Formats: sequence, C-alpha cells, structure tokens
Amino acid sequence: MSDMITFPDVVNWAVPFFIAAILAELLWIVIKGRGGRYETRDALTSLLMGAGNVASGIVLGFVAYGFFMALWAITPLDLGTSFWTIALCFVLDDLRYYWVHRFGHRIRWVWASHVNHHSSQHYNLTTALRQTWTGTFTFMMVMRAPLVLMGFHPGMVLFVGGLNLIYQFWIHTEAISRLPRWFEAVMNTPSHHRVHHGRNPRYLDCNYAGVFIIWDKLFGTFVPELDSEKVDYGLVHNLGTFNPLRVAFHEWVGIYRDATQPGLGWRERLNYCVMPPGWSHDGSRSTSLDIKARYVSQYPDSAGSPGLPYTEIKGQNTRP
Amino acid sequence: MPLSVLLPLVGVGIIGIAVMLHVLGLSRAAQLPDEVAAKAAWLREFPDHTPTRVILSHDHHAALIETDDGPGVVWAMGADTTARALSGARIRRTAKGLRIDLPDFTAPHIHLRLDPDEAAHWPTYMKDSA
Ligand SMILES: [Zn+2]
Ligand SMILES: [Zn+2]
Repeated sequence: MSDMITFPDVVNWAVPFFIAAILAELLWIVIKGRGGRYETRDALTSLLMGAGNVASGIVLGFVAYGFFMALWAITPLDLGTSFWTIALCFVLDDLRYYWVHRFGHRIRWVWASHVNHHSSQHYNLTTALRQTWTGTFTFMMVMRAPLVLMGFHPGMVLFVGGLNLIYQFWIHTEAISRLPRWFEAVMNTPSHHRVHHGRNPRYLDCNYAGVFIIWDKLFGTFVPELDSEKVDYGLVHNLGTFNPLRVAFHEWVGIYRDATQPGLGWRERLNYCVMPPGWSHDGSRSTSLDIKARYVSQYPDSAGSPGLPYTEIKGQNTRP
Repeated sequence: MPLSVLLPLVGVGIIGIAVMLHVLGLSRAAQLPDEVAAKAAWLREFPDHTPTRVILSHDHHAALIETDDGPGVVWAMGADTTARALSGARIRRTAKGLRIDLPDFTAPHIHLRLDPDEAAHWPTYMKDSA
C-alpha cells in the first residue's frame, strides 16, 4: 500500500457526534413530549453494546483486515483512490451491506450476531448503537472479498463501510416521520427503517437497506410503513434481561443448545445453524414466514397487503 | 482517534446519558393498568396461548397468567413488558417478593416485587400443571 492515502477510522471520529445527537433527540422528546421514548436501562444497554462493538473491532478487527490484505496482495487490479472510485465503492459496498443484512435475518448463524441490534423494544438514536460483538464469527467478511479483488483498496472498503454505518445512525428515530417523497424513494429513511425494527408479522424480514432503499425495491423485500399499523419494536420473543453479555451471546447459546440436543441427525444439527431463525426439526417453533402465514389465516382480509403473503399455506413462500 | 481520547469520551458519554435519563425520571417501570392490559401484554409474546385467568400484582408491575398450557408471568422490563411460560421454573420467596429462576438464557432470573400475601399465594398457582 505504497501510494495509498490513509483512510480515517470514521466510526470512532463520529462518537462525539453520536453523543451530541442523542442529547439533542432526548431534549426534543422531553420538551415536545412526543417523537420517541427513552428508558434508562434500555439506553444504557444499547450504549454498552455500542462500546463493546468498538472494543471487539479493536480486538478482532485484525482477522478481517488480514484477510482483506491477503486478497489485496493477490489481486492484479488497483482502481486507485479517485473520488469516483470511492463513490463507486460506496454504492457497491451498500449492495454488499444489503445482502449481509438479509443473510443476517435469514441464516440463524448470522442472525446470532445481528439479533442484538433488534433486541430493544425502543427505537431511538441509542438503538442505532446497539451493535454486535460477534460479527467476526459470522464470516460475513467474505462478502467484501469481491470488492477487494475488483481493485478497491481494503482501507477504502472499510472506510465506506464506516460511512454506511454512520449514515444509518440518524435513521433510528421516531422524531422524524416522513421526508420528501424523492428522498423516501431512493434513500433509507427513519420511516423505512422503523419498519425493519418491527415485530408485527407484516414488518418481519424486510427493508434490509443500509443507505439506498432501492436494493429492497429491486430484490422484492420493500415494505412501506403503514399509517394504519404502528410499528411494535423488538423481537418476536422479547428478552427478559438487560445484561449486555446475555444480549450479545444469547442466540449463540440457543444455537449450541439446539444443535447439541440428543437424538438428532447431523443434517438437523446443521439446519439449527443455517436455517432461518425459528426453524426447528419438529416444527414446534415458527419462522417469520410461518408467523406471516398464521396472521393471514387469522385476518384473511390482510392477504396480499404489504409484507404479507397472498395465501395462508404454511411454508409455501420460499423466499430466502 | 487515539484510545486515550476515545475511552474517556465513551465512558463519560455513557455514564452522563444514563445519569441524565434517570434524573429526568425515565427509569420508571411499566405499569399494567388493568387485567385487560396484562392479558394484552401476554398475548403480545404468546399470541396462541389465550389466558384463562389473569392475576394482577398489587403494584401493577407484573401479572400471573394461567393458560391451558400452564402458567406464565408478565412483568415490566423497563418501560415495556415481556412474558415467559413457567415450565421448569424454580420459585423462591425473597424479602421483597418472589424470585423465579428459569432454564432460559434470555430470562434467567425474574424478580417480582409482591406484597407478603401475594408472595404467599402466587407460588401455588405457579406450579406447572401442564
Ligand atoms: Zn436487521
Ligand atoms: Zn437498525
């Protein structure tokens, strides 16, 4: 990396801005009496998860970075560091984010890391900082490999990934209802991402976008926020603890317990790791598709409306 | 950013925000105004297990739920609530009420603040009949 400009660790530099924005949102809510909710222990857990995420990056970041530098050493391509290269890298990395995030909801191994971002029943700027400690173990860094092999420097790839994360910070708010139509059409917004944090059947597993909502529209996973259905934030099964260690590791423990229970074949053990959250070998639990199908069978009028299937047949909707 | 700046910033930021929220009175636990609210809070977690009986705690921070599939409990988690079925639960009296230990990594210990007469009666309903 001889002639490379150095890319700053933007997420760390954004920390003062994060703190200032949280105080501003809190002030707004307290003064206006609307626009969101805060609760002490929930916010504290979110902030500690954010701090732990930064710490895990410092401790484990070398794994991904070493992997990227190894790829950089073997690729013959180098796109340089012009503005347009960085801009293209940002857009392609956002497409990368979409798929990592979609896998994060549809593959339990990746969900085990991502679940904690959804574990709050609140939706405010501290929720944005409720980030994983275990991302390295999902091996999702392979999704960045194509970018490096195409000639985008690893430092640049991590830089635009940091910008992506910073963009997503401000959309975790109820203080902003809707933005101008052109903006809502192209960009991920508070409205779109509120839906993503919903546990309502129709809002499960949609709006995976980071910066550009166009990916969801392109790949058929977009669900608009309906004025008729308020978002219920949190997990299908909400946690009964604020302990950050339990928040960070609970789904990994769940996978371990499920996959090591006696009397299963190897394929069933594997499926507990890689099938969507809620999959079980005996059908005793519900995946998001089961939950949507059950909702449609209870409320037939809702069939085919945003986020819900047309039919109530269990498991027929096989979208990954 | 050097760690010598980042660490104090993060530390002061987190403690400062937490203290401010508490001072603003935002640490209050969720209240279940009545049995209907307690039932709704239960169904929010277990939509397929309709309560056959709801017993609200005197302070309105928790409720004992009976269903055909066995007993459960709803309790305040900060400003919100969550719920768990009580299969495999170990229940103990404490100075302030009851402590429920569950074989559940996401809700290992539930501390219920109950009046002495509640704490005396609730365990008899909590015995897993299913
Ligand atoms: Zn997500
Ligand atoms: Zn989010």
